[in-house]
Amino acid sequence: MKNPIVDVIDATYKYKNHDGNDSENGVTDLTFSIDEGEFVVLLGHNGSGKSTLAKLLNGFLVPSKGKVFIDGNDTADEKLCYVIRSDVGMVFQNPDNQTVASIIEDDVAFGPENLGVPPEEIRQRVDRALKTVGMYEYKDRTPYKLSGGQKQRVAIAAVLAMQPKILILDESTAMLDPEGRKEVLDTVKSLNKENVVTVILITHYMDEALDADKAFVLSRGKIIKRGTPKEVFSDAEAVKEAKLELPVATAVSEELRKAGFDIKPTLTDEELAEEICRLK
Amino acid sequence: MRDVAFGQYYPSNSVLHKADPRTKLIAGIVYIVAVFLCDSYWSYLACFSFLLIACLVSKVPLKSILKSIKAVLFVVLITVIINVFCYKTGTVLWSWWILTVTDGGLIFASKMAMRLIFLVVSTSLITFTTTPVTLTDGLESLLTPLKWIKFPVHDVAIIMSIALRFIPSFTEEIDKIMMAQKARGACFDNGNIFKRAKALLPVLIPLFVSAFRRADELAMAMDARCYNATDKRTKMKRLKFAWRDLFLALATAVFLALIIMLKCGFFGLL
Repeated sequence: MKNPIVDVIDATYKYKNHDGNDSENGVTDLTFSIDEGEFVVLLGHNGSGKSTLAKLLNGFLVPSKGKVFIDGNDTADEKLCYVIRSDVGMVFQNPDNQTVASIIEDDVAFGPENLGVPPEEIRQRVDRALKTVGMYEYKDRTPYKLSGGQKQRVAIAAVLAMQPKILILDESTAMLDPEGRKEVLDTVKSLNKENVVTVILITHYMDEALDADKAFVLSRGKIIKRGTPKEVFSDAEAVKEAKLELPVATAVSEELRKAGFDIKPTLTDEELAEEICRLK
Repeated sequence: MRDVAFGQYYPSNSVLHKADPRTKLIAGIVYIVAVFLCDSYWSYLACFSFLLIACLVSKVPLKSILKSIKAVLFVVLITVIINVFCYKTGTVLWSWWILTVTDGGLIFASKMAMRLIFLVVSTSLITFTTTPVTLTDGLESLLTPLKWIKFPVHDVAIIMSIALRFIPSFTEEIDKIMMAQKARGACFDNGNIFKRAKALLPVLIPLFVSAFRRADELAMAMDARCYNATDKRTKMKRLKFAWRDLFLALATAVFLALIIMLKCGFFGLL
């Protein structure tokens, strides 16, 4: 059996208050693992600890208790810091605040340049990464004029050029319009399927979890529900506790079931339509 | 969006555009030195011809070049006025109260004006033909020897390129904040200069707050992309010294030699 690429064992991280005591924010006793090539969605509301978890995964934060292993490397080991960060690519929320250069291809080259990759190889990596996200034609332009979705795709390419094993998207769709969200999600999904990059998508939009292999629901620093999207969505209690909003199709089927109809929980509009047709 | 002077790059594919930024920077410095060496009219003519040829080769329209002169016209005028009245050698041409104009003053003032105009045109010719990013790359490469005295050349270059990259973001942000404050009744166009300056305070404070927030996020994103991972940082685009650079360097060298010869009176002129 393969080793999991992400292995979190009993990890705790608490932010300090001004008086030096542990605050409420952070994560407590998280234990989970993610296998190579999986598409995992972390769901949680603001302050649920999902961004803290993301920072634990690329070594920005080191757990105060417990361990985090990325591809067998301990994030607490300072010597491995840059190995871990190049293995774990991270795309952030605001696309405007993560571009370094005024030209797209220069920005994508920033990561590999930092790693000391030979120039010819950087060129290849940059071209490949931009083609993967479908932004190759824009390589000479400035990121400033792009749409939000395009900017995030460039940010993904910038991370891909470092050839990471894991791609973490920390609320990367939160500032985008529906079209931009779809663009980014489609890009990420195809990356996961075709390039076998492990994807960890952090979001508070439940509908983004529909196609995931696994979904975790975080609330107040703890994982309160884990399983396939279907399992997670049908646990109304957990969803309510995490202050998440069910996708319309799931909410409708839930209400119908409460009203006494014999209907299965549904995830997508198509499933819902089928279920309703079956009812007669 | 207001029109912001974001460099003043004029896209074209002339020899000057394609030349290595390092060559252009050095040629620019040499030219400036040469302008200050000038004293005779012949050497001014040489400076003018060299600049004119460079402008023609660059394919930058004369109109844009004249515009760059227009921007400093005020400074030139003041210099001329001060020089005309303060330079008191030569025959007195006109005199009133404490003001006297001499022919020496007029000549000196006109030379100063030419110098200033040559300086402005030559430096703007560099920015017309070089994108800010390439210019930064060129500077970084030229400053590389400073690494020996532990000067953080690369960090400075990164700071410069980030500053350039954030100019449009911040102008957009200023527009947004101003609109938000206007919507709440702020007034930026009335009153004297002090009132106006005070009215800008509610714009500057949110701007600074957002600048710090952006800096924080950008630092994290750069860290996530392994900034400083290794001392042996590489670059995707290496600057290449080509035949056109050699030509440009030679032309500048010949020009400098000419100016020095004129200064030393090699041609028996003036």
